[in-house]
Amino acid sequence: MNKPTGLVFFPAFDWAISPTHPEREERLLYTRDQIFEEGILDLPEIVEYKPRLATVRDVARIHTCVPTVAKQTTEAHLVAAGGALVLADALMKGEIRNGFALVRPPGHHAMRMVHGNRGFCNINNEAIMVQYLRQKYGVKRIAIVDTDVHHGDGTQEIFWHDPDVLFISFHQDGRTLYPGTGFINEMGGPRAYGSTINIPLPPETGDDGLLYVLDNLILPIIREFQPDLIVNSAGQDNHYTDPLANMQITAQGYALLNKLLKPHLAVLEGGYAVESALPYVNLGIILAMAGLDFSHVVEPDNDPDRLEQKLEITEYISNVVNRLQADWRNREKLADRQLSPGQEFYERNKSIFYDTDYIQEEQLERLRICDHCPGYFSIETKAGGNGAKNSALAITVPIQACERCQREAHQLYREAKARREVDYIYLQENVDDLYQVFDCHKGIESIQE
Amino acid sequence: MMKIGIDVGGTYTDAVLLDGSRLVEWAKTPTQPDNLLASLTGALDQILQVKGAGGITRVTISTTIITNLVVEEKYEPVALILIPGPGYNPKAWRLAPETRIIKGAVDFRGKIIQEIIQDEVLTVIKDLADKGFSKLAVVGKFSIRNPILEERVREIILGRYPDWEVELGHTTAGHLNFPRRAATTVLTAATKAKYARFVRQVEDAVRERKISAPIYVLKADGGTVPLGKSVHHPVDTIFSGPAASVLGALAMTGEQETGVVVDMGGTTTDLALILAGQPLVASQGAPIGHYKTQVRAFAVTSVALGGDSGLRVEDGQLKLDSRRYGPAACLGGPGPTPTDAFRVLALTDIGDLSLARGSMAELGAGLGLTPEEAAEEVAQLVTSRMVEVIEEMFRVWQEEPAYRLWEILHKAVERPRNIIGVGGAAVIVDRVAKAMGCTGFLPLHGRVANAVGAALAQPSVVVTLRADSQRGFYNIEEEGIQLPLPEGRDFKLADGVKLAEEWLKKRGQALGVEVALEEREVVRQEVFNLVRGHGTVGRIIDIIIQTPWKIEGLLEQQTMAAGRGGENHE
Ligand SMILES: [Zn+2]
Ligand SMILES: [Zn+2]
Repeated sequence: MNKPTGLVFFPAFDWAISPTHPEREERLLYTRDQIFEEGILDLPEIVEYKPRLATVRDVARIHTCVPTVAKQTTEAHLVAAGGALVLADALMKGEIRNGFALVRPPGHHAMRMVHGNRGFCNINNEAIMVQYLRQKYGVKRIAIVDTDVHHGDGTQEIFWHDPDVLFISFHQDGRTLYPGTGFINEMGGPRAYGSTINIPLPPETGDDGLLYVLDNLILPIIREFQPDLIVNSAGQDNHYTDPLANMQITAQGYALLNKLLKPHLAVLEGGYAVESALPYVNLGIILAMAGLDFSHVVEPDNDPDRLEQKLEITEYISNVVNRLQADWRNREKLADRQLSPGQEFYERNKSIFYDTDYIQEEQLERLRICDHCPGYFSIETKAGGNGAKNSALAITVPIQACERCQREAHQLYREAKARREVDYIYLQENVDDLYQVFDCHKGIESIQE
Repeated sequence: MMKIGIDVGGTYTDAVLLDGSRLVEWAKTPTQPDNLLASLTGALDQILQVKGAGGITRVTISTTIITNLVVEEKYEPVALILIPGPGYNPKAWRLAPETRIIKGAVDFRGKIIQEIIQDEVLTVIKDLADKGFSKLAVVGKFSIRNPILEERVREIILGRYPDWEVELGHTTAGHLNFPRRAATTVLTAATKAKYARFVRQVEDAVRERKISAPIYVLKADGGTVPLGKSVHHPVDTIFSGPAASVLGALAMTGEQETGVVVDMGGTTTDLALILAGQPLVASQGAPIGHYKTQVRAFAVTSVALGGDSGLRVEDGQLKLDSRRYGPAACLGGPGPTPTDAFRVLALTDIGDLSLARGSMAELGAGLGLTPEEAAEEVAQLVTSRMVEVIEEMFRVWQEEPAYRLWEILHKAVERPRNIIGVGGAAVIVDRVAKAMGCTGFLPLHGRVANAVGAALAQPSVVVTLRADSQRGFYNIEEEGIQLPLPEGRDFKLADGVKLAEEWLKKRGQALGVEVALEEREVVRQEVFNLVRGHGTVGRIIDIIIQTPWKIEGLLEQQTMAAGRGGENHE
């Protein structure tokens, strides 16, 4: 028999951001009811796993939580991330053919630097899982497809300079929806250009548009990229009943997407139509991943005539796809334009707003341009507002770093410790799997694990 | 307080007569598979021989009749009508040989999203009538949240064929699991008539013996139900044998710790987990034959390993067969078995020693061992297999999915402390215990543990309530009913608990049990605020409460340390 699909179901029935927040206890209640009532957990094609708590080190591999992981996460966050890790282990041990972490709270708006909660997210479940797969199991190339209606800006930011992680996000156009990013021209850092792909779709995009984008853009790019693993950052707010967005995707559309994409691992993201969408979409995804018949998973109020995609939208989408096909083909030429000859560092300023916690953060990011590796980078950060008032410097040595970059990064860390110009200094050492923090006021260095 | 317990098992029928907590009489006779009633009355008559039937206050039986009916497919054909609505393709389930799917749908909140179409039902039942069916199971998805569609279908069926037997899904079992509900309903429809006949025969037989005490039957979850009431839910009585043996073991040891009850038979061994003195109830219903049901049962693991299991040497390695080739060699069987090894090691004294030695010599030849060494090797193999199974049971229990944060944070890591052997497990208990760093217990009357367990079992009542204050309804899953909420939209958790308590009392009364509310246990209570737009529009409240699980007292002369005697076992 084929290996089963692994399922972690962690609805966090005792956790909410606040009682009336969309991210509340009720969110997966009807999904639970539907999955249990279907009886599909009795099938040999599906095996349920219990989540675990992600460790501080699991989080520190990808995030710099200011001041500490413990201060920026609750146990619910750690269980949601840990649920994804349990499935990563099961997959790598060969116990399952693929896995779906049906967990909350979500994570795809959480960036590398964490001062608080943005877009309902504190830590990025997929990014933590991806980094875990690379560091624990040596998985080299991973493709993440973000199928949430909102741009996966956190995941994009985390892997912006990483040529071995392909991040593709389709979403409702940022001009009409939070977080207001994810445009066609956002294609990755200068040394990872083309490993970020954004597909902004017009409101009222339906199943036809989604499948068109999948067939003509997403799948061909993934085939060319040749990932070892595919991850679905599985938001469900493209559904035609979602209260926070304006798309027209159905449960059938989501199920077909997963049937065609064949993700090895899927992690639940957003989706707030708790009654009209989530029970059906989640069921559809589980059945599709397990290779079971999902043809009868149809929302009670699904009216195919009303949901038929308008002609002008079909045309608009085909234009977006054409443009992105061209940019993908020319990505090397476009990448060259990002840098001048002999340039040693690439800098960019970022201004980040934490909408849930009302924190404003200013960042300066510096990437070392290196001919031998993707380069180490540092983020200088200053956050203000709503109780947060921290400055920090975080230095990241990526897993592919060459020896020279590694040396230089350590040197930078030592010098910064001597200067003590910020509150905290972090060294995120992905080569050595070592995560250090230096508290400048106390003069104490500690290891995060 | 004179109590009788009778366990009609697959191999033996045990009966005991208890005076308070004292074992007065006991009997053990082979079960006649073709005549369970005669097996039962035979054992009953034996224990009544000396003292007669005077002063008996209660009779409790546990029986394998349903298991036998299902496994041997000795029941009338049942057709299944499913009302699945949207979801997994219902044709993928194999729930009954004749299954029909009709339109109509209820959602997770009990809202009707598609009505029944009368003409469609009429066409289906006409066809079933032509095929000779007159017993039907009608099961809807989410029917425990709203049974109206199932009831509507029954109305249509009985309107056309008034004498058909129609079993509805929502009445047979609670909890969310549509295919298991369907299987349980089919089995209920299939066995109800035969079971009812058996119940009448048992009642007559007991009354003929001048016993007027109430008669109870043991369920798989270790609770009892009045025999007369059990006819509505016959499948609840499957697997009451393992439940009886667990209860018996607890009654004889006063177990308050975490441990394992090991009940070894000829071909299989049943193992049950005890957590801090409480038998673990399985998270899923019990399987019966190839059906997965919703029957609440103790978490019992059966392994195909018993005193009569075959033994062989393969590539110089000793192997245990899951098959039985016959009785032990020491009893004239065809080849070596664990029982022969135990005989050679003087762990038991049944059968002929020289035959046992002969079989061990034959086995030892292939291994280059003396008969004694070979016997030791066999005992070690059986022990390590048992240890493996016990470790796996604990692992599975630890890994059981949890849906709340506190369950994940607070689930203690438990290790077994005691290993209790009943049935034929006497010979191996102290070895298993030693290998696991546990204490072994061997109850003095272990061979009639099942009957003792039945005699001391108590009624149990569970209520699962879901209230939906926005819709203004609540459901009691065990009753399969939906009723309007008394207090409308202001309904709070405390109101839910009160309502659940009322139903606990009501259900208790219907079962002839006085429920002491101060003892009730809240197994689960969850509140979900329903937010639509910017405001809270109501609440969903989930509550499970139950009477505490218990047995009526401990048996006097409780235990003997394992290995220091005890009784001889078959
Ligand atoms: Zn979203
Ligand atoms: Zn380098």
